[in-house]
Amino acid sequence: MSKRIILAAVAFLLVVAAAYASFFIAPTERTMGLIQRIFYFHVSSAWAGFTAFFLCFLGNLMYVWKREQKYDWLGVSGAEVGLAFTTVVLITGPIWAHPVWGIWWTWDARLTSTFVLWLLYVSYLLLRTLVDEPDRRALLSSLFGIFAFIDVPLVFGAIRWWRTQHPQPVIMGGQGSGLEPTMKAVFFFSAFAMHVFMAFLIVERYSLEKMHTEADLLARELEAQ
Amino acid sequence: MSLFSNTAVLLNKELRTEFRSRELLTTTVVFILVVLILFSFAISPTSEESREFGPGLLWLAILFAASLMLQPCFLREQGNDTLSSLRLAVGDPFSIFLAKLIANTLFLLVTEILMLPLFAIFYNIPIFPELHYLLLVLFLGSLGISVAGTALSAISAQARMRELLLPLLLLPLLTPVLVVSATVSVSLLDRQPVVQWKGIAFLAVFDLVFLTALWLFGEYLLEE
Amino acid sequence: MKNLDSVFAAYLIGWGAYFVFYLTIAKRTANLRAELDRIKNSLPHAK
Repeated sequence: MSKRIILAAVAFLLVVAAAYASFFIAPTERTMGLIQRIFYFHVSSAWAGFTAFFLCFLGNLMYVWKREQKYDWLGVSGAEVGLAFTTVVLITGPIWAHPVWGIWWTWDARLTSTFVLWLLYVSYLLLRTLVDEPDRRALLSSLFGIFAFIDVPLVFGAIRWWRTQHPQPVIMGGQGSGLEPTMKAVFFFSAFAMHVFMAFLIVERYSLEKMHTEADLLARELEAQ
Repeated sequence: MSLFSNTAVLLNKELRTEFRSRELLTTTVVFILVVLILFSFAISPTSEESREFGPGLLWLAILFAASLMLQPCFLREQGNDTLSSLRLAVGDPFSIFLAKLIANTLFLLVTEILMLPLFAIFYNIPIFPELHYLLLVLFLGSLGISVAGTALSAISAQARMRELLLPLLLLPLLTPVLVVSATVSVSLLDRQPVVQWKGIAFLAVFDLVFLTALWLFGEYLLEE
Repeated sequence: MKNLDSVFAAYLIGWGAYFVFYLTIAKRTANLRAELDRIKNSLPHAK
């Protein structure tokens, strides 16, 4: 219990520090001005979300191989936390785009691919609600999770190729292309902070799922008497 | 018995089952036709726009039709629990998938080829100039749809609300196929046709990736 | 200082979303813990 509290405290501190750095340490970008500061939050969230989905994928593979429930707990935790982060990416993207381009959505390659990613993992979670038996639910969602994850590079690749046929405005300009050293440092620190925060959320969600399984087990024992 | 002969026997069964009633083919053809007509009501394209949007709409219609056509794939094995018998009969469960996905690809291709002349007429798009490349794209795209669709229909058959679940699982997964097939088709059917080899290669890669995944994980999809 | 409100909006909505997500987990955990205690108390003392 105390380890979780320490993780929570560390995550909180890092995140506050990262926000401070994004506003007061990073210099103002020349062309975009103040709005560019969303970049630190938006892209860090994207990376952390992606790592969460990767953890889900690992859980899925391990479950299919070992059939131990804890891997399914990792799967669902990774998927939900990843979805939370991806949702924030999809919200902050348009908030950035609107003052700059005057439109909310630009079919920018990365944002569009992120939207498909979001849809894939929403489907993953929906599939889980439609299978009642726990072992079957774990197996089917793990298999779909594996297919979904290997689809992700194909989605990003296809949409990026498609975008070169139909150029659209690009969110945040060529990302990373013109980052000054201070900006780079602030960004990597933000990404690190977001990853710790993501880890904290996954630990909490995992514990919840573990408890839920125990409760179900006990409830069934109770019924048996 | 080898993978090849098992697959051949199962494929024969799939084809004969379908050609006895032809219900899958006829309903799919009619469905695509209806969708294509409805599209033209919804956007009333001019002749120039038809050339730009038409191929994309055709692929969208194919995707929708496929997500319906793939429903019975594993559902009809549930009725008399024929799936267990199939699994006992063959050593490698992959042959079951291979037979079904080849059959589904063929059904889709037949549907598309039947649709092509009507598509050309309604959307005023001449299809003969680059027909061979168009057929290549249709084949690679349909193969991708079938591979993913056959795998996912094995999953959705074991869940509730399967009619709604399959499209929900399948359509996001197939966005690469839709995007690339539509774009390649548009350039092929342009006034100055261009063959996008990168796109065609991409479709082949997609098919290969999911075929491999199905080969690796297929047996778990059919677990009791 | 143009667009400052957009930057604030982004950070606020983003962190708001994360906070709400964490709250749902914490609430479900608390409810479940209560439920778990209830069940444990109903079982015979052999458990």
